[in-house]
Order: sequence, then C-alpha cells, then structure tokens
Amino acid sequence: MPGGIRAASSCAPVGREKRRVSLHEFGLQLLNGVTFGAVLFIVSSGFTLIFGLMRIVNLAQGALYLIGGYIGLSVIRGTGSFILGVIVGATAIAAIGFVIERGLLRLVRGKPMSEILLTVGLSFIAADLALAQWGGDPVTVPAPEAISGSTSILGIIYPVFRLVVLGLAVVLAALLWWLQERTRVGAIVRAGVDDREMVAALGINVKAVFTLVFTVGALLAGLAGVVGGAFLSLYPGADSEILTYSLVVVVIGGLGSLQGAIVGSLLVGLIYDFGQSLVPSLAYFVLFAPMALILIFRPRGLFGKETA
Amino acid sequence: MSTSASTPETAAPRDEDRAAAPVGGAPPWLGRVKWGVLAAIVVLALAWPYLVSSFYVGMGTQALFYGLFALSINLLAGYGGMVTLGQAGLMGTAGYALAILTTTSGLPLGPAMLAALAICAVVSAFFGLLAVRARGTYFVMITLAEGMIIWGIAVRWQALTGGDNGITSVPRPAFALEYWQYYYFVLAVVAVCTLLIGRLVRSPFGLTLRGIREAEDRLPSLGYNVGLHKLVAFTVSGVFAGVAGLLLAMYNNFFGPSQVFFLASAEGLLMSILGGVGTMTGAFVGASVVVYVKQFVSSYVDRWMTLLGVVFVLVVVLAPDGLVGAWIRVVWSNVVRRVTGSGRRARGPAMRNEGGREAT
Repeated sequence: MPGGIRAASSCAPVGREKRRVSLHEFGLQLLNGVTFGAVLFIVSSGFTLIFGLMRIVNLAQGALYLIGGYIGLSVIRGTGSFILGVIVGATAIAAIGFVIERGLLRLVRGKPMSEILLTVGLSFIAADLALAQWGGDPVTVPAPEAISGSTSILGIIYPVFRLVVLGLAVVLAALLWWLQERTRVGAIVRAGVDDREMVAALGINVKAVFTLVFTVGALLAGLAGVVGGAFLSLYPGADSEILTYSLVVVVIGGLGSLQGAIVGSLLVGLIYDFGQSLVPSLAYFVLFAPMALILIFRPRGLFGKETA
Repeated sequence: MSTSASTPETAAPRDEDRAAAPVGGAPPWLGRVKWGVLAAIVVLALAWPYLVSSFYVGMGTQALFYGLFALSINLLAGYGGMVTLGQAGLMGTAGYALAILTTTSGLPLGPAMLAALAICAVVSAFFGLLAVRARGTYFVMITLAEGMIIWGIAVRWQALTGGDNGITSVPRPAFALEYWQYYYFVLAVVAVCTLLIGRLVRSPFGLTLRGIREAEDRLPSLGYNVGLHKLVAFTVSGVFAGVAGLLLAMYNNFFGPSQVFFLASAEGLLMSILGGVGTMTGAFVGASVVVYVKQFVSSYVDRWMTLLGVVFVLVVVLAPDGLVGAWIRVVWSNVVRRVTGSGRRARGPAMRNEGGREAT
C-alpha cells in the first residue's frame, strides 16, 4: 500500500539543528511546499479547465497523471531523453483524453452523475492496467542530467530540477491565462462557461471546443505526471492521492477558476509540506482543515462564481 | 422484492412511482409472485450454508455485509440524491474503532461494537455537516476528500492504526467463531438493518428525502428543513455503513488501509448502481456480483479490477438504472403489461442526474 506522497529527491536539511524550526529549515519547507504546489497546479489547472467549461468532474485526472508519469518513465528509460519523455507522456495522455471524450463521455453528455461515475470506472481500469504494466513498487522518473544538481538560494541548498518545475508551472499559468483571456478560443471557452446554449446558437461548434478542452486538460495531467514523477515517486495509489489534493485545491480555489487553481495549489502545497514536517502523522488531516473552513464560510471556494 | 420504490426521472409523471408494482387491473396473484420470490430468497439465504461449500458461504457472508454497505450508499444516493464517494471512510471508522478498542484497549467485543458505532456516528455527523452544504458534483468531491482523510489517518497515524500493516486479531463473537455460525450472525444483523432501512425509506422522513432529491429548492417553501433532513440521512447512512464495517472487521479478523481507500468507496458505489439505485434489492444484487468477480473470477483472471472498471463503464453507459432497474424495465414490466393488458411501460429507477448542469 502507498504511504503518502513520498518526496523522493527532496533534499534533507544540511546540518540539521536540534532547534525545532530553524529559519533554514523554514526556508526549505517553504520551497518544498511551493514546488509541490507547482505540480499540483499543473494537474488541477487541467481539472478546473475541464470543469469550468464542461461541468464534468473528471475523477480520472489522477489516473491520467499516473499513467502519464509511467509512460514518460518508460520513454526516458528507453531513450535517455527527459524532454522526449515529457512530450510523449503528455501527448499520449492527451490522445487518451481525446478518445475518452469522443468515445465515452459523449454517450452520457448532460448527465453529470453519469459523467462522474464514468470517470470513476475509467480510473479503476487505468489503475489496474498501470499495476499490470509497471508493477507495484514505487519508481522515480530520473531527472535530466543537465539540471539534476543543486543550487544555493539564500544559503539553502536546493535541487535545480524542482525550481525548473516551478518555473514551468509559472509559464503554464501565464500561457493558460493568455489562452483564456486573449485568444479567440479562450473567448469561446469563457463564453461557454457562462452560457453554453447561447454559444452554440451563435454557430460555434461547442462539441469541438469540448473535445479540445478535455484533451488539453488531459495533456496537463500527463505533463504533471512526468515532471511530478521526478520528485514525487509513482506507485499504485499515487493517482488517488494526487486526485484528492487536486480536489482540495479546486474546492479551496473554486471550481473552474484559474486564479483559484493557482492560489489553491500554493496553499495546499505549503500546508501539506509544513504539516508533514510538524505533525507527520496528521499531515493529511491538517490539509482538510482549511478545506472545511472554506466550505463553511465560502462554499463556492475563494474564486468560484456564485452560479456555477 | 421491494422494487416498488422506483424513481422516475425528472419529468416523468408521479404515478409511475408505483409502476414497478402491479397496479390497476393486475390480478392479485401477480403481487403474490413478488412475495413468493422474496420468500424463496429468504429460504435460500437460510439454507445457504447447507447447500454449498465453505468458500461460497464466505462469499455469501461478504455479499451480505457489502450489500449492507451498498445499501447505505443507496440510502443517500438513491433516495436522497446525494452520491457519495467517501462511504468507505465511514465504514472504516467503525471497523478501525472496533479493531483498536478490542485489541489495543482490550475492551470486550459487545461494548467495543457500541462504542465503535458511536464514534462512527459522530464522525458521520461531522462529515455530514460539511458535505450537506453542497450539492451534486461538489457533494461528490467533498465526500471523496472526507473519505481520504480517514485513509490518510489510517496510513499515517501508525501508533493508532498500525499504518500499512493494519490491525490484526480482531475477535468475533464467541457464538459465531465458525464460518457458518458467522454467516448466520451476519445474516441476522444485515436482515435487521435492511428492515430498518426499508422502514426508513417508507416513512415520512424517507418521502421527504425523495422530495429533496426531486426538488431540493421547493421543499424549504413547504416548511421542510432540507439541511437537517440531509444531515440526518447522511449520519444514519454512515452508521449503517459502520455496521457493515464492524462485520467486515470481524469477518477478516483484520482491518487495514485498503478497506478505507477511495477505490473501496468507489466499489461500494459500483455495487449500488450496478444493482440499481433507489431499490433495496439492487444493493445486494450489486454486492453479490462484485464479490463474485473479486473472489471467484480473480482466481482465473488477474485483471479483475479492469473487469470491474469495464462493468462500471458499461453500466453507466448502457443501464444507468442498474441490473434490477433493467430487469424491471425490460422483463418485469412486460410481464405486467402482458398480464394486465395495459399498454403502459414501467420505468425502472434511474440515477438522478443533478448538479451544475441545471443551472446553466
């Protein structure tokens, strides 16, 4: 059985002191939390994108993450190229997402519960096939040679790779924002979020936009799987864990909101990592406290719209 | 078969609620057929250990308590329109509590069971408080996260739960040590719980619950406290899941994290919709099929989970009203029609689809 997200290559504090939380350790946890948040953002931005337009809670998002990571791992092991692994992993998952949307989700369009249950069934299949193909032992995607070293930020020795992932997440966030706010497709998607029937009535092929959005959402899950798999290991059960974190992210941030995904991912990443180091046995529990508070005081999430 | 609780989809006329039961000009013997089938099932359940080997008795035992588990999900999803994906967490709360109280704390089994159910009720009520504020898809996500909290504690809080290793040597009642004795014990407990749930869904409370499922926004104007009804339903359902958890813990003499994992909740939901939500029999039909696949098919096919997943997808796409629902729709209603000569077609219960879609 999985034992929680294992930070495979998170670097141990150098010269650990006896004091409970030194400033150095605090900085390290901060970085760990933010970089974990970066991976969470990549997964949950896809999740929230799909929900925003299609109103589908894609509970297979965690499974797509895991499979993406495994495919990337196989490619990297075969070719030795990390970049190729990322590209193949992400595009393969995008293709799977395309097939799921075209072949299955269309059959139950308009029935939210059936859509959710369908993705649950798919995550069963994906988890089992992944177990058959890649086995049950935790594996870690090897980080590329060029950025596998460490660097020093304000005296904290930190793996470069995790910082690169953070950079990637920032670029993706900017890209997604640009796509949504500044392009024609983004305008269609935003209009679709608010009033799908009207968009269709204007002669826009909403079905095609749906397929596109679902495919992009899946692509983000696959991408997160490969880069996330390089510092969180991949194992059976990692799919459900990542899914759970994404759910907490979108519940906190608000379903369908890009800003919500950014803020939520950061919060969840930080809370998880600090909880992990302060109260290891209750690391999960502390994660859900903010979710509970948000639900009590702002059920739509921080950035969610009143009428979803 | 208590299939009279069929649930028409939104726009269907109300009187179809009774369509599954022979109505109108149906001859009285048709109603007796159902009672006959029910009696046959009772007799079969009682005679089961005398008919088959211990392997199948074990399977029967599992089908019974997983059936109760599925029924508890059904109570929420089928009657209250609240699809939960965290029910295994509540089942596991009771199971873990029993395991810890009987082993680490050394409590006798009887008081430990009561205490475990009390703990389960408190946790259910707390989870319910958070979850019932939401609807549809949000509700699903919150319950999923809640279930994963319990899982997280089960895996991480090793001092309390034994972590990945779980807790072993959970005792059984002294009078039910043998496999067949335990079968009868489970049968008795599950029968009592099923009757209680049956009473509940037919009570004014159950009707209000169905009202909430059909038109949540209208009920407050009729003077119903929707939130309170949902909370009570959530808690009651959690306690019944807890009873199933106790039976599971004692059956395996063990409780571990995989039994509270997300997949366990999803499996319970699969049992529920496979049989047919909103039917009492459906839960047990669904549980039997899933247990059969897990226990029997798994000895021939490695990828039984893939098989369950495929079944899941097929049921959702092809028969959203489940096996019992499809049976009513395809076979039973035709029998009724042929016998009564009326042209109406009974509709089986179907998964109520609510959520964000309506608002758009």
